[in-house]
Parts: sequence; C-alpha cells; structure tokens
Amino acid sequence: MLKPLSQWSPLTLNMLNWVVIVGSVALCALTLPLRLPGMELNGMGPNWLLIWVVAWSLKRTAFQGALAGIVLGLIQDGMTAPYPSHAVGLACVGILTARLQKQRYIEEDFISVALIVFGMVVVAESVTAVQFSLFKGTDSTSIPLSEIWVYHQQTALSSAILSSLWAPVVYYPLNRWWERLQWIEQSS
Amino acid sequence: MYSPYRWWDRHRLQLSLAVISLIVAWSVRQTQGAGLLEVYRLITLPFQGNPTQQEQLVNARTWELEQRLAALESQNQALQALLKQPVVTQGKGTVAPVIGRSADHWWQQMTLGRGHLDAIREGAIVVAPGGLVGRVVSASDHTSRVLLISDPTSRIGVTTSRSRRMGILRGQAGDRAVIEFYEKDPDVRPGDAVSTSSLSSLFPPGLLVGRVESMQLSKSAAPQALVKLSAPVSDINWVTVYLDAKTSKSMVSINP
Repeated sequence: MLKPLSQWSPLTLNMLNWVVIVGSVALCALTLPLRLPGMELNGMGPNWLLIWVVAWSLKRTAFQGALAGIVLGLIQDGMTAPYPSHAVGLACVGILTARLQKQRYIEEDFISVALIVFGMVVVAESVTAVQFSLFKGTDSTSIPLSEIWVYHQQTALSSAILSSLWAPVVYYPLNRWWERLQWIEQSS
Repeated sequence: MYSPYRWWDRHRLQLSLAVISLIVAWSVRQTQGAGLLEVYRLITLPFQGNPTQQEQLVNARTWELEQRLAALESQNQALQALLKQPVVTQGKGTVAPVIGRSADHWWQQMTLGRGHLDAIREGAIVVAPGGLVGRVVSASDHTSRVLLISDPTSRIGVTTSRSRRMGILRGQAGDRAVIEFYEKDPDVRPGDAVSTSSLSSLFPPGLLVGRVESMQLSKSAAPQALVKLSAPVSDINWVTVYLDAKTSKSMVSINP
C-alpha cells in the first residue's frame, strides 16, 4: 500500500511535482499532431499547449506564466516551424492569464476556464497573425497581407471553440494536483 | 538586511529549474522536435493500422494500372530518346504511413512514420493517390515532416495540361490553392487539370496537382485561378515518397 501523500517527504513531493509537470507537457506536445474523432474541426485540433499554459498561469505570477509560455512556445516551434515563433503568443497568454486576478472577479469552475481559454486562443492567434504581417519573408515565401487576416478570421473562432471545449481535460487533473500539493504544504 | 546570498539560497532551485526548462525547450526547437516525434511514433505504432481486404483489392488494381503506366512510360522514354529529347526518370518510391497532422493550423504539415533509416532525405517528393502532396522538410531517424502544397508558404511552378499555360501555385490551407499566371489572358477554363511544370526547381515535371475550379480574371496584378487539390490530404493514411533526381542530397543517398 502506498503511503498517503501528506506523509511523503517534501523533497519527494517536489520531485513528483516536476514529474507531473514534465509528463503533462510531454503528453500535450505529443497530442498536438494527433487527430482523433471529435477532436477535429475544419482539419484543426485543439491547441493543447495553450490550454496547459492557461492552467499553469491561473494561480501563478506573471513572470512564471511568461516563462512557461516561452518554454512551451519553443517546443511548439520545434514541432512546426521555428518562424514566426509561438513563444511570443504563448508568453502573452501566460502573462495575461496570471494578471487576470481570477479569484477576485470570476468564479472558479470549468466554464470560466473555458472562457479564459477561448479569449486566450484569440489573443495567441492574433499575435501570430501580427507576426506574420510584420516580419514578412522574402518575396518567394511571403503571404499576402489580406490573406493572413482572412485566414485569421476563418480559423481563430473554430480554433478557440475547440480548445475551450477541451480545456477541462487538461485543467481539471492539473488543478486538482496543485491544489492538493498546496494543501499539504500548508498543513505541514 | 538584504543579502544577495540569502536571495540566492532561496531561489537557487527555482532559477536553475527555469534555466534547465529554457535550455531543454531551446534544444527541442533547434532539433526540430526530432526526439518528440520519435516518441510520438513509438506511442502511435499500435494504431497505425493495416490495409483491409477492400484496400488490398484496390491495391491490386492500382498495381496493375501502375505496371501498364510504367510500360507506357518506358516506351514513351524510348521514343523521346529516339527524338533526342532530355529524358526524365523517376526515382524509386518508399511507402510511408501518415502518423500525424500539423501541430498548428498556421502550418500545413504532416508527419510520416519513415525517416533517415529508410533513406528519406530533405527535399524528397511526397505523392499520394490523386497526385502531389508535398515535400519533406526535415527528417529524423524514423519520422519525417512534410510541408504540404496547401501551405501558404509553399510555391510551385505549375502548368495547365490542356493549354500548357505556366503559373505559380500558392497554397491556401485546406484543399484549396491559387495559381497566378504570367500572362494577362491565359486560356484556362474551370475543369482543366493542373500539374507541375518543367520549370519547377523543387518538383519533377508532370505530377498531377489539382483541378481548376474557377477563374478570377479581374485581379489587379495577374489573373488568378482557384484550384482544388486532387490528393485528399485529410483522408490519406499512406503516401509514397520519391527521392527526386532534382535534389542532389537524395541522389547521394540512393547511389552511395
């Protein structure tokens, strides 16, 4: 039989926390290229890494949120193309989410998390679109400005709907785990 | 009193962990996620599926047609050689399963379950039932990433098969693309087939790309045609990868 978590040493708990963090990020990254039935809208999947950044930043400082955004953005760059970077958009998402002061204004439940993810997907999409329009490459690879924003309009909404619907899948277990950790720290 | 040592003692762990996270993420970005993709392939290995019976029948029929086509092609080449025309040969193809789609919808990519060890190199041409799909942009040991022709950053020199008008095809996400023609008044109609042109530097000539859906002659700069790509990219599970003769790197790997 395993001992209850509250009897574990702080070091083991810390290690376990990092295993959970790294494991969940890896899981999110590996789910990105996957398209299961019900996980697809117009050929798009949910933005799992963005959901993870929101779940992480909700109860942390803006700096921690930005750091998580940069790290996960670089990973997503590795899985698509390094340019323009996802790190900028996800860092914005991390900062904004942390600054939301959720406890003060919004009830804590699935619906508010879904709403936050919805808004943050729109933010991240817009940052990517701005990056595309600002740093246009050479003539052979640049996309016409009008097409970027038409595409942004077409996809931002469906991407936001899909990500916000799937947000609780990532948010709920992570939140439970971190709440439990906090409770153990306070009671010891 | 404020002491930098005390601050360092308190934040040492967090800081080093943050730095480690940054370094790991940076290395993932620099290696183009090669390690992640390898792990992904291992996990999805049991779900990659086998061709069913119906598919085997279709495969047999396809094989028969391919053999007839190959015979005709070689006959064609022999005739062209008689006419002293430059001969274009197609390399040997590797069949690869599609194991993943693009990780972000701004890029139109797919991941294949074959890589370096199966002699797939950057620049290899990816073809599926229906026509051209894209080009390999990076490869790890067992996986490779394909930039689809529907990606907005991909450019292909194409020609219409009926009237031989040249243009440049640019992807528009999904299964749509746009051709910009060089001429002011191209003789192109909806329904015309579009294939890669002999001027394309990345693709061999004559590969089917799609079908013209509508014309937009009123565009300011150059007349445009909207094209529906012929390969059903979102439904295909298997593709064929050709190491094209035009990419010098892949030639080295075929004939060591």
